[in-house]
Amino acid sequence: MLAFSIFPKNISTYGQEIDNLFWLILFFVTVAFVISLYVLLRPLFTNHYKKVPKARYITGEKKKHFRWITAALVLLALSDFAILFAEHPVWAKTQENIPDPDMHVAIIGRQWNWIFIYPGKDGKLYTADDLYIDEQNSGLHVPVNKTVVFDLKARDVVHSFFVAELRLKQDAIPGRTIKRWFKATETGKYDMACAEICGVLHSQMRNFLVVESQEQFDAYMNTLYEKYKTNQ
Amino acid sequence: MSQQQTLSVPPKAIPQGRLGIWILIAGELVIFGGLIAAYLMNRLRYPDQWSEQAAHTSTFFGAFNTVVLLFSSYSIVRAHAAATRAQVNKVLVWMSITIGCGLLFLVNKTIEYSGEISHGFTMTSPRLQEAGNQIGSLFWSFYYTMTGLHGTHVLAGMVAMLIVMAGVRKGKNLHRVELVGMYWHMVDLIWIFLFPLLYIAK
Amino acid sequence: MGQAIHLNGNGHHEQSFWTKYLFSTDHKTIGMQYIITGLFMAAIGGFLAYVFRMNLAFPGEAIPLFGELGPQQYNMLVTNHGMIMVLWVAMPILVSGLGNLLIPTMIGTDDMAFPTVNMLSYWIFLLSSVVLLASFFVPGGGFAGGWTLYPPLSAGAYADTSPDFFTALFSGTSLFILAVALEIVSMLMGGINFLVTTINKRAPGMSAFKMPVMVWFLCIASLDFMFSVAPLVAGAVMLLFDNILGTGFYDPVRGGDPVLFQHLFWFFGHPEVYVILLPALGVIGEIITVFSRKPLFAYRTIVKLSLIAAVLAIVVWAHHQFIAGIDPRMATFFSVGTIIISIPFAGVFLSYMATLWGGSIRFSAAMIWALGFIGLFLIGGLTGLFLGSNTFDIYAHDTYFVVAHFHYTLFPIVFFAFFAAFYYWFPKFVGKQLNEKLGKIHFWLTFVFFNGTFFLLFFNGLMGQHRRVHDYSLFSNVIQEPYITFEKISTVCAILLIVSQFIFLYNLVISLRKKERAPSNPWNAATLEWQTSSPPPHGNFPVPVKVYHGPYEYSNPSFSLDYVPQNYDERIMDTESKQDQYEPTADIISTT
Repeated sequence: MLAFSIFPKNISTYGQEIDNLFWLILFFVTVAFVISLYVLLRPLFTNHYKKVPKARYITGEKKKHFRWITAALVLLALSDFAILFAEHPVWAKTQENIPDPDMHVAIIGRQWNWIFIYPGKDGKLYTADDLYIDEQNSGLHVPVNKTVVFDLKARDVVHSFFVAELRLKQDAIPGRTIKRWFKATETGKYDMACAEICGVLHSQMRNFLVVESQEQFDAYMNTLYEKYKTNQ
Repeated sequence: MSQQQTLSVPPKAIPQGRLGIWILIAGELVIFGGLIAAYLMNRLRYPDQWSEQAAHTSTFFGAFNTVVLLFSSYSIVRAHAAATRAQVNKVLVWMSITIGCGLLFLVNKTIEYSGEISHGFTMTSPRLQEAGNQIGSLFWSFYYTMTGLHGTHVLAGMVAMLIVMAGVRKGKNLHRVELVGMYWHMVDLIWIFLFPLLYIAK
Repeated sequence: MGQAIHLNGNGHHEQSFWTKYLFSTDHKTIGMQYIITGLFMAAIGGFLAYVFRMNLAFPGEAIPLFGELGPQQYNMLVTNHGMIMVLWVAMPILVSGLGNLLIPTMIGTDDMAFPTVNMLSYWIFLLSSVVLLASFFVPGGGFAGGWTLYPPLSAGAYADTSPDFFTALFSGTSLFILAVALEIVSMLMGGINFLVTTINKRAPGMSAFKMPVMVWFLCIASLDFMFSVAPLVAGAVMLLFDNILGTGFYDPVRGGDPVLFQHLFWFFGHPEVYVILLPALGVIGEIITVFSRKPLFAYRTIVKLSLIAAVLAIVVWAHHQFIAGIDPRMATFFSVGTIIISIPFAGVFLSYMATLWGGSIRFSAAMIWALGFIGLFLIGGLTGLFLGSNTFDIYAHDTYFVVAHFHYTLFPIVFFAFFAAFYYWFPKFVGKQLNEKLGKIHFWLTFVFFNGTFFLLFFNGLMGQHRRVHDYSLFSNVIQEPYITFEKISTVCAILLIVSQFIFLYNLVISLRKKERAPSNPWNAATLEWQTSSPPPHGNFPVPVKVYHGPYEYSNPSFSLDYVPQNYDERIMDTESKQDQYEPTADIISTT
């Protein structure tokens, strides 16, 4: 095995399924690659013009000639459909069916930071007591093992929310609100990048995803309430 | 050139120039197609705001210009008919009429534009934007872009016709009348699409 | 270069220096102008790549030949590197350059259908290159928002400062868009010429399936280009208006939609890959048949499969936008389309490989470049399956996995196929033979360093390294071993890759200085361009040709000849003299 792991650590409930999909496709691709490489290289070794001075005249227009390629294409089609069947449930799970949230937040991209909006004490987003956090490195704090649904928006240009450990990436488009979800299974602090070029300081657009226990999370929310009490 | 060509052109092929113009027309239609598709998409998104703005376009000028362009299509057909019989003078007359129609179209367009601009409907419509009608101002951006691009094509067609006429006067290249005619029909056809989309649908 | 031959009855006049080399309407001169301009732009694109690769490997250090690199400049370099390599290198070299050289000579005619339009299209192309290069030097620098030009970043750059019309017009962004628009116009004019020439000007007897596969592919590519790029012309005009007039076509505040531009862009951007892939495949098809002395396997099927692929290519564009906020159900449709498009292309590639089976293979420089193309494109195509799957694309999108993938497709397309074509057709159009040994050294160095540059980046991508980032110091996944070392290896290999190209330049120079002229048909090829002198005279064929045979009649047992030229007429031509011609030229290959 390789001395280093291929993927970063996975902390989301669906991350493993995306990784598995990679290995599945890698399997098909490797098989296809090895077969093709054999087909490409074998005649180069056996059919040098010094060994085979006269080529065989095959036009390949007859079905009989084409049958090997037909077989290969059928195999390819089957593996294509295997990939599609394997991936579709994961796609539906991550993108189409948004589960009921334990926590609902809004994430807004701006040049060049991620802004987080937490629901206030009423637990509802887009009310007067929302907490609006626009600080470099503030971190999006979420409790572990809770379903977090977020509304993704952009204020100025196209950004892309990317946390490698969640295996989740989603463009934030100005003028649109895009709903996505995740459920983090391990506590820790993870990089939250912007994966779509968004101007001069695109490379500085980094915040964190902070996954913590429910108690720590509640404590964090309380400090926020204290801090922003004057604003409300 | 001629000897080489008769040898290498397969007998039943479409004449070279005509084929080239057909392909050019196909490309032009897709360009306008992209623009019209974008317009329709927005129109469906904002049916109310946009029909409110479309009410400010002048159906009279639009209809009048449609008639002018349709007549110019007729006159270029007559020019082509004359060209097939090699009646140089008739070709020149009918082509001049066509260019006159194009000119009339552009003059109308100018009057129409000035009326709209004086009412504050411009490329960016700052007056609408200040009034908070941002979506309405987008209609006018589309309006000016589409009619402007079409107007540029009218102008290009007129220039092409002048060049063809210069040749025709010397009795040369009469087949080009047909080519410029085909192009002119395309310009006409695009207007037939733009007129209902921008003027009638309110 | 060959002396201008005056052809009586052909209507071509004696040419002065200016009309022969500069303002020429001769398709061969225009083709070479395109290729030379394209190679010049490739040198610029390569230099940009060198600068930002140095920055990635050694962040924060001054770069030799350039100096300090700030984030704005970094973004500008990656943006322009992308656009230059696709629109100013791949398009002019593969489509316009090779198309101009090969279409008239392969179908046996004197010139393009509209030579003046052809010349005009080159000059517009040159103008677009100048506008693009000028955009680097305007105040504020060149455009730096990614080659995909996504608004609002590309549209609102001047919205806040509200400048006047001319300031906005002469900003890097506007000039960049303008250059793209001009380039597209030039290529459209070229495309019309290709189609009309192929449809109308074929030599007598050149029926559809007697055309070399290269001509087929160039025409399919031109058609695909025309229909995919036209909406982008409208889109680019709207983007330009957003920039210089302050309209809001892509501004959500005013009801516009940024995703509209993404659709228009990728509606062009995806077929564009096939537009440049198809001529490359054509080159490979010509070369592997000649050097394995066998007919192209399943020629008709290949053409049909690529027609299917060309149609499919137009309806899979949104796979670039799986995570761009389009409806997830729509993404499923595009994912199915994208994965299915692998089938016709696999058919084409397998047919190419089948051509080699049972052949009598000669490893000339052109042949090994062609084989290298097939091998590398295999990796590029297969890694496409990862990204075509919309679910894995959630993770891999906009990472170095994508970067590595499309360099594995585009680099073989643009450079391996081009060099294959170059080593193959150079004797025909320049009249001098290139040095085969140097050609092979050039190949092996390019092959090794290309893999060294891009293969490890797959792993960086899988670790979550995202694209177009000037400085990765904030991202802990990337700033760890072995990924830092991978970046350094990649950069060193990229520099060596660029340096290896000097072998090619050296080869070019010494070959041009050679006194001996190349034979008219050094590879014993059957297609028409080899049946005239090297280089072909103005007007290509002193005697009008007629076509009797298919393009790939090699080793046909029903003829006593090793190969049957397309214009070979049993009643006229002398069999013995043809066979004589075969012997001396076989030595060129065997000695190398």
